[in-house]
Amino acid sequence: MGMKKLKIKLGKIELNSPIILASGIFGYGNEKIDFIDYKKIGAITTKTITYTPWKGNPQLRIYETDCGMINSIGLQNPGIFYFVKNILHKIRKKWPKIFVSITGRNEKEFIDIIKILNREKVDAIELNLSCPNFEKKQRMISQDPDLTYRIIKIVRNETSLPLIAKISPNVNDIKEIAIASEKAGADILSLINTVKGLRIDFKKMKIIDGGLSGPSIKPIGLKCVYDVYRVVKIPIIGIGGITRGIDAIEYFLVGASAVGIGSGLFTNANIIEEIYKFLNQYLGKRNLKNIIGLLNEKESNP
Amino acid sequence: MENQICKVIKNKNLSKNYYLLEFENNFKKRFYPGNFVHIKIENLFLRRPFSVAHYSKNKIQIIYKVIGIGTEKLSRKNKGDYLDIIGPLGNSFPFYKNKRICIIGGGTGIAPLIFLAKELKKYNEEIYFFYGARNKNLIFFQILPTGINYIFSTDDGSFGKRGNIFDVFKKFNSFDVIYAAGPEGLLKKLTSSIKKIPVYISVENYMACGMGLCYGCVIKVKENDKWEYKRVCKDGPVFEGKEILWE
Repeated sequence: MGMKKLKIKLGKIELNSPIILASGIFGYGNEKIDFIDYKKIGAITTKTITYTPWKGNPQLRIYETDCGMINSIGLQNPGIFYFVKNILHKIRKKWPKIFVSITGRNEKEFIDIIKILNREKVDAIELNLSCPNFEKKQRMISQDPDLTYRIIKIVRNETSLPLIAKISPNVNDIKEIAIASEKAGADILSLINTVKGLRIDFKKMKIIDGGLSGPSIKPIGLKCVYDVYRVVKIPIIGIGGITRGIDAIEYFLVGASAVGIGSGLFTNANIIEEIYKFLNQYLGKRNLKNIIGLLNEKESNP
Repeated sequence: MENQICKVIKNKNLSKNYYLLEFENNFKKRFYPGNFVHIKIENLFLRRPFSVAHYSKNKIQIIYKVIGIGTEKLSRKNKGDYLDIIGPLGNSFPFYKNKRICIIGGGTGIAPLIFLAKELKKYNEEIYFFYGARNKNLIFFQILPTGINYIFSTDDGSFGKRGNIFDVFKKFNSFDVIYAAGPEGLLKKLTSSIKKIPVYISVENYMACGMGLCYGCVIKVKENDKWEYKRVCKDGPVFEGKEILWE
């Protein structure tokens, strides 16, 4: 049912479904989750991988909020060598497409990871530009358009693999960052990463200072996609607060070519099935590409 | 694991803010002692994890204490209501046969131990169950399996020995294996004082996915001479006590 009308091209990547698992939500794709229909997923984005292993943050790492959750995992991961040697070959057959999310603490780390991934069969590299301590400064790469440009450019020069730039919404003008990403050679944009937030655990008298996700950030994600769609030509993966079919439609209508499922999976175990079914019903005889950006317009002179 | 919709059979107040929830077992997969379920609560974003206290072909029971908005909403579920549940999740207690077994716990921590005691009873004659509570009303006699030696303690002395269950346990010895769950203080004392025999503990934590995907519920675990964060939901909730680096 509806296999064809949900096919979408994301730059050069052909997806059977516009539903993508966002980074951090499904580990490295090596856990078997029996109730998920893998055929209805276009691609998995792995949890972010770094050059050396990272231990991640101490507890508390997660906390529920009124309309979502905050996480502060701290990019715990076993490093690129372990991933390539022990995980990648195991997940390759299971997933239609694999997007590998990476980040680095400096330019060299980005280049070193890319050199390793160039030898592997992966479908795209997603650059997590929200790593908080790049070059030991208290800022994210994607909070600075020049730095965003520089990092994407050096990665671009190292690889012919499709590049996805994942951008933080915690900026004055996300359009600037998106334009810099496109100019530097990004093929696709992922919008948005989590929104900075904080919660208090009264019982433990502790704070959790991290990234907010869930329905509370959907309006922020929609606004970012809406604004960015007007000023770039490259496709956008819309992410943020999707928990049901109608949410995905909203992202398509303002310019997303695909949608990323995040913590919505934790609240709705049937989310993939529901979105897939809803999209088919909503589209009727139309193809997905007919509704992308329907409620938006490209700027004539960006 | 599976995602099933299960009908509530009963949701009974055991004492004060403690409840026993029983629901129809629609799961095809078998549950083992230590496994947990992840239950969706209406209008809350994250599911809530609960250890299984009783498992049979037809029904599953959990025991919970109302401590926040999630468990409060759960306590209002009635017979005939439906629950969206993921399970079985997590690892389970390793099994021993023909041993002198100690089971020790308190509070809602006794839930997985009840399931465990029932299973161990099939293969072991000598099982000692140390059960600690604040007072007599918080000992749930009605759900304890028979054919096991119980040793009770209460903080106020209203039933069994007066004092902490760990102090009572210390006077006994020559066990082959220890299984524990409950307050972190008890688990810390057990794992730091018992070195010669295996101590298996079930630990708790806040969870988001419950399925090993998000790395939110980690605990420090020794790895050779180093340590790393392991997931309570996937690598646990049962760990060998000596592996844990308490914080």
